Amino acid sequence: MTLESAARLTEALLALALIQQSLEHLHGPRADRPLFLARIALCGLVLVGAASPWPWVGLVGLVGLAGLSLLILRRYQGPYNGGSDRMGLLALWCLSLSRLAPTPALAELAFGYLGLQLMLSYFISGWVKVVNPDWRDGRALADVFRFSAYPVSENLRRLADRPRLLLVMSWAVMLFELAFPLSLLSRESLIAGLVIAGTFHLANACLFGLNRFFWTWLSVYPAILWLQARVV
Amino acid sequence: MIAPRRTARLSIRPRPEEGSRLQPLALLLPALIPSWNFFDVIAPSPRIEYALTASAAVPKEGWTEFRPRPQRVSARSLLGRLVWNPRWNETLFLVSCAERLINAPTDHSQDEIFTRLAAELADAPTGDWLSFRLVFVSREGEAIQREVLFQSAPRRLAGIGVP
Repeated sequence: MTLESAARLTEALLALALIQQSLEHLHGPRADRPLFLARIALCGLVLVGAASPWPWVGLVGLVGLAGLSLLILRRYQGPYNGGSDRMGLLALWCLSLSRLAPTPALAELAFGYLGLQLMLSYFISGWVKVVNPDWRDGRALADVFRFSAYPVSENLRRLADRPRLLLVMSWAVMLFELAFPLSLLSRESLIAGLVIAGTFHLANACLFGLNRFFWTWLSVYPAILWLQARVV
Repeated sequence: MIAPRRTARLSIRPRPEEGSRLQPLALLLPALIPSWNFFDVIAPSPRIEYALTASAAVPKEGWTEFRPRPQRVSARSLLGRLVWNPRWNETLFLVSCAERLINAPTDHSQDEIFTRLAAELADAPTGDWLSFRLVFVSREGEAIQREVLFQSAPRRLAGIGVP
């Protein structure tokens, strides 16, 4: 996978993820709609640029989206949906900087940073959990189900009363997240790691309603596939 | 086990010096240099409760949880929410606003909660004045604690601009 093809694929997937989010915002307060109608239009430019021989069209879309992201951050005084919006912003700015970079090396650096951060998003998440005794004995995950804001239904809260299952789930999540960097050793292992990661995000989307995480993280997968091929 | 409710660190409105808005580049920086510490600790979790009253007096009772979770969600709905989940994502945004009101209070967070409450309660049959409070749920030992950490001053429902 070349830098150009990986960047185009990431741009297209990110544009689709941002369109999905923007359509949800059109359902919200009327005053916010111009921001998100503009975002949908700019995503359209990114999609055209990714699928055509005129990359400047995509660049216009990306730079416009990067500028618009500042207005949206100001509007909500931060990300609307925490981590998923932060990953979307990171991807957007890395893709824009990679396209604007004056040399191929700097373009690779900006795009590679995105792939690196994707790897770190799993590893650091695993590390901060495994150093917490509540995660190691399954109690933290029980707390997530028992009283956090995330479970999408009251029935799901009953999982808090299944300590053995939660202990297994806790360690499965921590071990996967901590071991994710090892998946970079080969293309096959990375693809396997990304399939597991995608399944993890799908489970989070179903259990906790985190649908934006699912689409945003998936959109960045081409960056780590390119990085693995470039480095290993 | 639900422990008796306690009220602590209750404030009626954000302090004026804390009402300033952050600039976009300061807000962007944590995205460009992310921490990725998802769920490192399971912090006390906010619930938004509202009360509609006939007068501008601060309500002492009559609180209702805003958007309580349904008992169950079908598998079909779960899959559908992968592509269309605006209400839940708005609820999560209000959770963020509630946490911000405690950690770094601003008028913005309070206004967002008021406007979203008002939009949903526009056709409410009773009460001209709207208040909300933030109940934080946490575990202490084996007991679940509920603690009111913030209560807004009442606002006239008709005067809350729904954008």
